[in-house]
Amino acid sequence: MKTESLIATLQDRPIARIAVNSAVTAASVLLCLLVSPTRLLGMELAGIGPNWLLIWVVAWSVKRTAFHGALAGLTLGLIQDGMTAHEPTHTLSLMLVGILTARLRKERYLREDFISVALIAFGMAVIAETVTAIQYSFQGDRSLVEIWTYHQLIALGSAVLSSMWAPIVYFPLKHWWQQMSALEQQT
Amino acid sequence: MFTLRRWWDRHRIQTVLAGLSLGAAVFLRQTQGAVLYETYQLLARPFQPNLERKSALENARFQELQERLTELESQNQQLRSLLGYVSENKRSGITTPVVGRSADHWWQQLILGRGQKDGVKDGAIVMAPGGVVGRVISVTPRTSRVLLLSDPSSRVGATVSRSRYMGYIRGKSSNRVVMEFFDKVPDVRQGDVITTSSLSQLFPAGLPVGRVESVNLNKSPAPEAVIELTAPVSFLEWAVIYPHAQSSLSRSSPPADRESESQP
Repeated sequence: MKTESLIATLQDRPIARIAVNSAVTAASVLLCLLVSPTRLLGMELAGIGPNWLLIWVVAWSVKRTAFHGALAGLTLGLIQDGMTAHEPTHTLSLMLVGILTARLRKERYLREDFISVALIAFGMAVIAETVTAIQYSFQGDRSLVEIWTYHQLIALGSAVLSSMWAPIVYFPLKHWWQQMSALEQQT
Repeated sequence: MFTLRRWWDRHRIQTVLAGLSLGAAVFLRQTQGAVLYETYQLLARPFQPNLERKSALENARFQELQERLTELESQNQQLRSLLGYVSENKRSGITTPVVGRSADHWWQQLILGRGQKDGVKDGAIVMAPGGVVGRVISVTPRTSRVLLLSDPSSRVGATVSRSRYMGYIRGKSSNRVVMEFFDKVPDVRQGDVITTSSLSQLFPAGLPVGRVESVNLNKSPAPEAVIELTAPVSFLEWAVIYPHAQSSLSRSSPPADRESESQP
């Protein structure tokens, strides 16, 4: 009953709808950011946890345009730069993830949402860590052997964990955004 | 003009929202995510360990004391022949819980639950049961970020406590670090204790770091040894922060190529 009245209010007031939608989206980003420094039990493999920001970018970009994906990647990349180090930047890898995810015509290959999001997150995690490794290679303060041996460990660990935890971020957000766009259609 | 206005009417909200989020992102980047870490500390406080010394860490503590003893014995022999040795005052440290790890996988960092309000400053030394673990690189009011010795970008002058041969250590991304020696044929054996050297600007001399795990004297350009850090870096629950002012003594003749630390 209460939710119905809430939906009705949101339907009547587009400004309120946008505000609520943005707030929920921002809150989900905040949640991903705050989970990033933790290494909870079961979320850790050899000191490596899931890449929560990457999962969020994938969830955001799956049903949006490449431009939106790149924008989300840029925003989250800048924040992650602030949380760790400015160089090498995380914006490149996350923007690439956003663009590729949006360009992926996944309907052609896979019907099942659950599997496809996990698979996309797996692939994108590998790509993102590779982009970072390439940046390190250009920076030249570590030996190439070191970088690429470490890359194997990180890419695989982060890909496995990210793909496992991706649905947890994706499904609530997908549900929410679907509901919001449905409301938008009605008005 | 008309098309521009029509575009603006249609995309006004999106543009404003995108601008807002980008602005917020740039702000967070410039402030090193201080707001985020403060929020994190606020939320993580109920889950933090109550700084009890766990029995698992006692063994490491014992090893640290043993290493300090070896270091002191060795130092003592040298000092007997010297006069006018001024001992450094013991300073008290700030005990702090470890609340988090690096927000990505390429950096080896720790988030500690004490910050500016508790008197932590940039460049402070972080010790754990077992020895030195790293250096504070950024501080917010209630948290501080530590670059671990095991980070590949962290380079610190070190010395073999038994034979006083010097070199520098760089991280190897686990609880191992690699020590590169300045001499071609250093006197170093498996099991030797490694401490920070007096050439180090970033760390005070004589702090225990770890033990030599394996030695490769044929490595080019410099012989190398793999050091196992005594402190259990991968499952630290608490640490102690000691303030450290960079010494002016070492600044007069900086061994710049020998010890450098790339700061993020």
